[in-house]
Amino acid sequence: MSAPELTAFPRVTTPSGERYEGVIDLEPVKRAHKPLYTERTEVTADGNAAAALAVLQMWRCVVYAGFPITPSTKWIEMISAHVAGQAGCLKRIKLMEAEHAVADYLAAAAAACRDLIFPTATSSVGLDHMYETVKSLGASGLGNVMIINVYRATANYPLCIEGDPSDTFGQRDAGMIQVSCRGKQQIYDTILQIPCVSMHHDVLTPSMPGFYGIKDSHRNARLLCEPDAAIHEFQDRWIKPCPLPGLINGDTAMGNCVTSRHFQGFKVAQRRRYEKVLEVLPRIGADFERSFGRSGLSYFETVGWPESGGVDLAVVSMGPDFGTFEEIREGYAKAHGIKVAGLCIRLLSPFPREAVREKLRRARTVLVVNQAHHQGRGHLTLDVADALINLPSPPAVVSAFCGMGGADVSEATWEAMLDNGRRALSGDMPPPYQIFHEGAAL
Amino acid sequence: MNPLDPRTILRDSVLEIRGDGKAGGGLVLAFQSLASLALTDPTLNVQEWPFFSSARRGANIRAFVRISARPIRIACEVTRPSMVLLMDEGAARSVDFAQGVPAGGTFVFNTRHTPDECARHYRLSGRVFTIAGDDIGTRYLKASIGNVSAYVTMAHAIGGFEPTSVIDSFLATLKKRRIPEAVLQRNREALEASLAEVRSGVFDESRPGDHEPPRFAGYGELPVGAQTALRLSQTNQTAFYARSGVRLQFADPEGKCNGCSHCITNCPEGIILWEPDPKSGVRVTGAEVSSYCKLCNECISVCPFNLFTEAPFEEAWQEAEVSS
Repeated sequence: MSAPELTAFPRVTTPSGERYEGVIDLEPVKRAHKPLYTERTEVTADGNAAAALAVLQMWRCVVYAGFPITPSTKWIEMISAHVAGQAGCLKRIKLMEAEHAVADYLAAAAAACRDLIFPTATSSVGLDHMYETVKSLGASGLGNVMIINVYRATANYPLCIEGDPSDTFGQRDAGMIQVSCRGKQQIYDTILQIPCVSMHHDVLTPSMPGFYGIKDSHRNARLLCEPDAAIHEFQDRWIKPCPLPGLINGDTAMGNCVTSRHFQGFKVAQRRRYEKVLEVLPRIGADFERSFGRSGLSYFETVGWPESGGVDLAVVSMGPDFGTFEEIREGYAKAHGIKVAGLCIRLLSPFPREAVREKLRRARTVLVVNQAHHQGRGHLTLDVADALINLPSPPAVVSAFCGMGGADVSEATWEAMLDNGRRALSGDMPPPYQIFHEGAAL
Repeated sequence: MNPLDPRTILRDSVLEIRGDGKAGGGLVLAFQSLASLALTDPTLNVQEWPFFSSARRGANIRAFVRISARPIRIACEVTRPSMVLLMDEGAARSVDFAQGVPAGGTFVFNTRHTPDECARHYRLSGRVFTIAGDDIGTRYLKASIGNVSAYVTMAHAIGGFEPTSVIDSFLATLKKRRIPEAVLQRNREALEASLAEVRSGVFDESRPGDHEPPRFAGYGELPVGAQTALRLSQTNQTAFYARSGVRLQFADPEGKCNGCSHCITNCPEGIILWEPDPKSGVRVTGAEVSSYCKLCNECISVCPFNLFTEAPFEEAWQEAEVSS
């Protein structure tokens, strides 16, 4: 059978070139999807399993690229087991020889078919190996690439296998949409929603949902899985064919290369698409909540904020250790007679500056808890300080590091950090930053 | 000392359980099975995870589970569990498995010893449950592995689970792994035997300061690349990786050693003891096994006169110390 002539398909002119509508018929792909669940089903899963189940349920995911690397290995193992165990399964696994090849493959495959989703899961060293291609992907307009990042200490010495979001922050400016998750349900739900953001016609930017290695990747808990059909209905509401940005269709070959006076236009367009995430993400989150009855994507989670009025101490952090803060928050506030609230950041990049400012302007002191190595006060601290900079009377910002290299963040450590925040409340500003472990300042 | 009721704890707050064992000994499966059992109750929330390094089979590992009637938000490690499992008594050589358990807590042992013996030996105050899990494993599963029994004993110690649920939940997990029916049947027999053979008692044997968690006071000066202060084991002696219950033994009553030195050159830990010999150059006199012999069996396999053997050794009861 010979391939049909392109002229058989209607041509649509776009600012960045031409599309041949329907040249790749995806209906057979959708029909060939074999559902994992036909009704809402409760399972026990760890973080890797939750992430694997989510992508297995998407009809648009037919090829999974991967390279086994702790702590994300179980993701590709689980998908492989599913593909191997299901006769006639359309889905395929591509095990590559190294992580940079995974990223290269994703770029090529995603460019070849814009309407399918091409996921992988990796961590630390793997992400480091992908570095060059990840940067290119960030600028590519390929919103159908999803790199699930299982946070792990980046290439440090001696080799550390514990979770640490350093790798995410190391890739902070790669141009991908970075969303942090905690808990199995949030991992699953985020991975279902994030393609709707990244493939939105205003955004077209690849995504990097992430969760903590070991602390979430290897912890089992109850997980509610939605029926495949409901997931498809939700995703198909948001994901539609659309004009592509210029880079991947040949426009850069000569006239739009880095030496061209037009190149800055390309970078500006990339930036504009990136900032559109701030508009699109809450809408998709709200639709998810309407559809499935659980919280959808948001800039951050909040705890302890009164309807109106201020708080004495606001904590800004991310990841599963925020749960330990939630657990002790009320008791700590009561014991010290202060109001304590928290923001658990979910959207890391682009950073929701305006929303963070609006929330934190109600705080007298802000304690920012960083868990990734940084040469100064911490990535999150700098983002928060930047968000607050134009307030007439900004709250004091106290910076803490803990859980470095994936270390445990105990209740005693949280109390010690909160004590530091309280010092600032009384006008006794602590040093620019301090590292905490097991309840002690190091 | 009042015994603490795990059911009351999980209803009112969070029941935290910690297990110590050795890699390959079934500890993780025992905890996963307990988590699955708890999740059969729709009113309970569970958080379960293992803790291990890249170390080989035989290294100390831990497992944790939290069970609660309310949502579980806390994410830090379990340091003050109200219930602990000692899956392999050899693990007690390098960690205090009972560290942080409050008076009245629950202690579960996979051991041939009685609850009374365990309480006195490890100086415990609270509820003590024992099961000879390795023996039950040998009897029904043809493997000296006590995870089935440890799971049953933990479930029994928590209370409130019907025996049929305990058995059915475990078998359901195995079925998902497509285990053959004959093996399922043997597991059922092991589960039933375990339910019948759990022993328990309440004891008050601890002394002030026993099993107190140490207070972290910073690292002080650290050498480059230092991580030892963070590690689970009190020391990094590879003998702790060895299987429990046996130990390397050297015996040469007839003076057969011919000085071939194969054992010396093949031992990865350099623990073979020898002395100069005027005839053969070298004469092997033994092996220093207390710190670094991990029973790799290299010496056993290369000795032409079979002078090295594995000998039974109740290591935990001879060496494990109570921390105070």
